[in-house]
Amino acid sequence: MIEVNNLHKSFIDKKDKKNTVKALDGLSFTAKDGEITGILGPNGAGKTTCLRTLYGLLAADEGHVIIDGINVAEDPLAARAKLGIFPDKFGLYERLTAYEQIDYFASIHGMSGASKKQAIAQVLKDLDMEDLAHRKTVGFSQGQRMKVTLAQSLVHQPQNFVLDEPTRGLDVMSTRVLRNHLAKFKAKGHCILFSSHVMQEVAALCDRVIIVANGKLAAQGTPQELCDLAGEEHLEDAFVKLIGSDEGVAA
Amino acid sequence: MIQFKALLLKEYRETFRDKRALMVALGFAFFAPIMIMGMAKIMIEKLVDEPPVYVKFTGAEFAPKLMLHLADNNLLNFVDVPEDEKTTWEKRNIAIEIPADYAKNMAEGKPIKLHLQADFTDKAVKPPVRRINSAIREFSLSIGYKRLLLRGVDVRLLNPVKLVEQDTAEPNATFILISMMLGIYLMLAAFMSGLSVAIDSSAGERERNVLEMLLCQPVSTLKIVLAKLIGASTIAFIGVVLVLVLTSLSVGFVDLTKIGATFSLDMSTAIFLMLLLLPICFLASACQLFVAFQTKSFKEAQSTVGMLIGIPAFIPFVVSMMDDRPEWLDWLPISGQSLIIESVFKGVDVNWLAVFATSGVTIAITAALVLALAKKLKSEKVVMALS
Repeated sequence: MIEVNNLHKSFIDKKDKKNTVKALDGLSFTAKDGEITGILGPNGAGKTTCLRTLYGLLAADEGHVIIDGINVAEDPLAARAKLGIFPDKFGLYERLTAYEQIDYFASIHGMSGASKKQAIAQVLKDLDMEDLAHRKTVGFSQGQRMKVTLAQSLVHQPQNFVLDEPTRGLDVMSTRVLRNHLAKFKAKGHCILFSSHVMQEVAALCDRVIIVANGKLAAQGTPQELCDLAGEEHLEDAFVKLIGSDEGVAA
Repeated sequence: MIQFKALLLKEYRETFRDKRALMVALGFAFFAPIMIMGMAKIMIEKLVDEPPVYVKFTGAEFAPKLMLHLADNNLLNFVDVPEDEKTTWEKRNIAIEIPADYAKNMAEGKPIKLHLQADFTDKAVKPPVRRINSAIREFSLSIGYKRLLLRGVDVRLLNPVKLVEQDTAEPNATFILISMMLGIYLMLAAFMSGLSVAIDSSAGERERNVLEMLLCQPVSTLKIVLAKLIGASTIAFIGVVLVLVLTSLSVGFVDLTKIGATFSLDMSTAIFLMLLLLPICFLASACQLFVAFQTKSFKEAQSTVGMLIGIPAFIPFVVSMMDDRPEWLDWLPISGQSLIIESVFKGVDVNWLAVFATSGVTIAITAALVLALAKKLKSEKVVMALS
């Protein structure tokens, strides 16, 4: 479970105080276990800042993030141990094989010996990438890279799984692999937080949607609830309406 | 420990699989013996007393005594030139013309003009010409003295003032220059070899978007920095060891006894130098990582860190030129080590206090850099620079 409470974050330009950017302005939401929660928001709404605060990379000016009862600001390492992170730019160590990368991240999460080997074998099987495992990742296709990144972020079976625009640049087949995997993960009772721009995906996948605009929560609910709230048929129209008008903030 | 082992293993895997960068890094070490051999060869050639000079004489038959005198000074006739040096002397083309009336004018006490022809702007021609000049002057003077003596004049009257030169250079001292070069080279090797690895594992990883992923993991930044430091300094140390091994192997091919020099890099000296330079390898990599992590891009890292290399080359030069060395130089990193290396090569007793002091200071600075960098990696500035 991920609880985000009243986050404030400003980036202050030291040379020019007027140039201060308020990236987060009292954002709060909760991503529950056994649900897929989607974060929707226009570019610059504060999604990345929110996620980086959640990873403990940035310190909030005000408010806090609690992951499974651990305050991220107080104990970032313990909180990160509960997280699986799928970053927005999935870079790979191109001189390592896929297996070595997954092994690397498993070891960083403190796994070792037979249990580590078993976990890696399991994740490779789940993602159907055994034939890729012992190739160096240089020259991997976007879909193959996604699989490696997914495997390395899930190998330690994190309770909470955060994905930052995971489907960007993926073809239909790869998107399906990802979607199936998330659904399986959800069924096991994990908490999934998912940031995306693709409306159909959010509509198809997410149990709850959080719309962020200007560093604030603009609206939240199931995709259907959001459509009803905005009085629109499609989520895309609802989204535009909700971030565009102040009335939407009421929710 | 599991984490650290994984981090380090990954650094080593990446480093040793990047064959091209590794070759570049260690290629530097391969130049050391080549350079030192070349320098030694040139020095020997210059220092060996009066190599033979071959001159194209015309009219040599008119002045047999002069020819004998020149031959005593190793100034020989081009006719006798060995086959392998023929083209060299053909090119230098030094010619002396002895007039046919040489014997007659000599007997009559008239001045004789010998004509020396050569390209005086050619550097290689200058020393032979100087030697011909002094040999002929000597010959001429000795005849002149004899003439005066015969007339009852004390030849000492001709030299009221005489300069007595005493060369205090020990035969070994010239070769110290080469050992000094080796010292500077070792220092450079420590800084150069790990350079590409340090940049690649810091600025390079950030550019490839893998650093952000790593910083999001439940691992302390100190462990990350230490793993990268050990990865880069291992390569730096391999560079230093290569320089030492290759140099000690290659010096055997140069005959230094010709100039009365000895240079031996025995096992214990080599091991001492390795241990002395080990902290420098760590310091070098720590400096490089510290700077590279703070640059905005890979390219900027390359140029900025490249400038760091100037330091190790510069400091030993300055130190070796200084006449009065302040004591604190013994304690500082780089200058301390280069002074110790100098005394090792000079055969002077090593100041062990200085060895421990400079190593201690070097390690302390390295530790400070590592801790500062670990703290910096947690800062928002670094995180903001990720995207």
